[in-house]
Amino acid sequence: MKKSYVIGGVVIVLAMAMAMYSFKSTLTSYVSVSEAKASNRPVQVAGLVVEGTDRYDLDSNNLLFTLREDGGDEMKVEYDGPRPGNFDNVTKVVAIGKYEPKRKVFLARELLVKCPSKYEGRVQGE
Amino acid sequence: MSNLGEITIWLGLISIGISSGCYWVLNSREDDTLAWNVARYSFTGFVAFMTLASILLMFAILKHEFIYSYVANYSSRDLPLQYLISSFWAGQEGSFLLWVLLGAWLGIFVMHKSGEMEPQVMTIYNLNNLFLMILLIKQSPFKMLAAAPADGQGLNMLLQDPWMVIHPPVVFLGYAAYTIPFAYAIAALWRREYDNWIRPALPWTVFAFLSLGAGIIIGGYWSYKVLGWGGYWGWDPVENASLLPWLAGTALMHGMILQQSRRKLRKTNFVLAAFSFLLIIYCTFLTRSGILADFSVHSFQDLGITGWLVLFMFVFIAITLWFFVTRVREIPVSDKGAAFIYFSREFGFIGAMIILCLSAIITGVGTSAPLITRVLDKASKVSTEFYVETNMPLAILMVVLLSFVPLLAWGENSFAKLSRKLIWALVGAIVSGIITLYHGYPGMAVLVLALFAGAAVGMNLHLAIKLIRKKFTMSSGAIAHLGVGLMFVGIIASSVYDRSEKVLLPQGKLEPALGYEMKFNGPQFTREPRGVRLDLPVDVKKGNTEFIALPDIRSENSPDGQGRRFSRPHIRRGLVSDLYISPVDFQSAKEESRSVDRKQLELKKQQKIQFQDYEITFVGFDISGMMAQKEGQGVSVGADVVVSYKGEDPLTLKPVLTMGKEGNTSSRVKLPGPAEAYLSLARIEASSGSIVLDYQGPASGQDKIAQTTPPAFIAEVSTKPGMTVLWLGTFLILLGSGIGVARRWPK
Repeated sequence: MKKSYVIGGVVIVLAMAMAMYSFKSTLTSYVSVSEAKASNRPVQVAGLVVEGTDRYDLDSNNLLFTLREDGGDEMKVEYDGPRPGNFDNVTKVVAIGKYEPKRKVFLARELLVKCPSKYEGRVQGE
Repeated sequence: MSNLGEITIWLGLISIGISSGCYWVLNSREDDTLAWNVARYSFTGFVAFMTLASILLMFAILKHEFIYSYVANYSSRDLPLQYLISSFWAGQEGSFLLWVLLGAWLGIFVMHKSGEMEPQVMTIYNLNNLFLMILLIKQSPFKMLAAAPADGQGLNMLLQDPWMVIHPPVVFLGYAAYTIPFAYAIAALWRREYDNWIRPALPWTVFAFLSLGAGIIIGGYWSYKVLGWGGYWGWDPVENASLLPWLAGTALMHGMILQQSRRKLRKTNFVLAAFSFLLIIYCTFLTRSGILADFSVHSFQDLGITGWLVLFMFVFIAITLWFFVTRVREIPVSDKGAAFIYFSREFGFIGAMIILCLSAIITGVGTSAPLITRVLDKASKVSTEFYVETNMPLAILMVVLLSFVPLLAWGENSFAKLSRKLIWALVGAIVSGIITLYHGYPGMAVLVLALFAGAAVGMNLHLAIKLIRKKFTMSSGAIAHLGVGLMFVGIIASSVYDRSEKVLLPQGKLEPALGYEMKFNGPQFTREPRGVRLDLPVDVKKGNTEFIALPDIRSENSPDGQGRRFSRPHIRRGLVSDLYISPVDFQSAKEESRSVDRKQLELKKQQKIQFQDYEITFVGFDISGMMAQKEGQGVSVGADVVVSYKGEDPLTLKPVLTMGKEGNTSSRVKLPGPAEAYLSLARIEASSGSIVLDYQGPASGQDKIAQTTPPAFIAEVSTKPGMTVLWLGTFLILLGSGIGVARRWPK
């Protein structure tokens, strides 16, 4: 029984160490637009899609839009991936990626579109 | 403000409170007939009140009583019956009521089947119900508005799918069912009987596995079919919230089977029963407290229950710890003090349980990242790579175990005897390896996963066939494990070998995409009660197969005035590969003039030139604008230009150039004639006294040249191999566990 504890222990420690490493390397902080522009690590920014700015660029096959956060700061976002099916139904988007200072655009590799779901609750009087 | 619904919920709370209290009394006074009667009748009363409350809510929805804010928020008059029914559980409040209702119904079975253990089992079970009732009162679905609106908000279109009608009830049935093994486990500790809880609780553990598993799979299937992003699992907190208890519960299920057969893992099973149950509360806390609001695709809102959920969690942790710590020394360790055998079924079970728990813990840590990092610094989340990277080695270990452990018996095994049967695993691995490498080297980790997933399929297929012939009900494990193997094969195929391309399909034009020929047949607009449905039929052809794909984009105007748009993919299912056509955008037909020309013409004063069909003469400057200038407005200069079109009467035009501080602006004048052509004053050459005119219009002076761009459909076309295998695998997991429930169900 002792030996099996050792083996089990080693497996668990290895898995945890790997998880810790992966955890740190894939962590993306939730930052403001101005912080995102200054950061050279992948980050995530939440905001609203400025109405009428979203368009589909056929040459690059990318979705482009301008994101405006609560404070009013804006930045251009380019998303290379399938357009989320409920993109037009957004209340809020979270773009995850990196800011490209040369092109002055935020390259998103993941786009979380907050859609109303079973967990949605509306405050009365809204 | 109270109404019948609220009163019913309060009566339910009182009943469950009384029932809990009486069951508590029965712990020490087992012969108290009065307490027995009160405990049971008040529990029955609780079930009746919750059933009544649910009927009241259902009637309020069916009769469109929009005075209830819940009914107004989640349903509307135009919904068909099945979606009216599903709006019962479309929101937080209603889904809580559903959870309580299902727990109440399951409680009847527990009450009648738990025998001697009833007082303890029901005390714990009722304590959970009591807490859920408090949460339900805090967020009641019977809250009323000051005045009823004419119509409700309606049900989110994405949820208007048959699978979303049954998904929440199935998930909450699983949630409610996982409370039962927990109640039994604590009751066993309480009564200091450490083995006889397994037999009555195991069917519930398998049932909960089946139910929550089915819920997870239905959720994935819905996501693939409706959301149009092409995937079935996104590691979103809401998805993880159902996965975590399920993983822990799967470990519990294996531990209980091991204890039943070999009298081992007594302590571990108590811990696992508590772990799976506490994960349900923890995940409910994560998804309903608003903590992850910025980190999930679902919008959560705190309805004021966060504090209760935390209390709820700590109370149950305290109860578990109290009973465990006070009993742990007397829990007997394994009956035989014999040496542990590595090449045995026990070893496989324990290995699988460690893997499942590690997966649950690591995925749980990832899901909790915003919570953990908030304490340290700034709330952050992990990207989906975290989950894939960390679960990959665990998945490999899992299929390695699945490829030979099902063959082993409890206790000692002779490798020499069994080695011949490993041929099935080998065959599976070879077939899987050849197919994988034929489609391209996927990287070492994926290749190893594919090889052993194939081995697991081969081995368990062999065992399933053998057992089905021998005794059908004994084949449950083999069928479920075959399903796990197939599911991994499907996951690899669909996530590593999928191909995707975005194509622009102008109406009527044949376009190639991923080896298919596609022709967009033009948009079809249909009015719907709340908006417009835009069907986008596409003729798809490849070799001899030909069919019409019909993805659509629906827009609706919701009462809050916001337009919403939903794209629905078209999926052509195939045994080997699915063709997935998802609408990206639609461009309606456009008319635009073509070959617009811009030309600069330089003219000296009194010079006449011929340009296209125009005869243009520069007569002179008009500097009246200079005289009329105001402070800071800049200087305006006009040029008198006489233009004659095809020899017709000449017309005097006056383009004006304004030179201000912020640059020059010039006004545009239309040229005579039918064409859309314009002149403007580009600049003035003061030294030579000449002007430069800007011409903007058709190149060759023909009458209006207009071109129509046909309507176009932008689609994302993907091929997703292995989806059928994936769904078959998940179906077999459920089928296997269903057989397991049936076999273990008390007669």
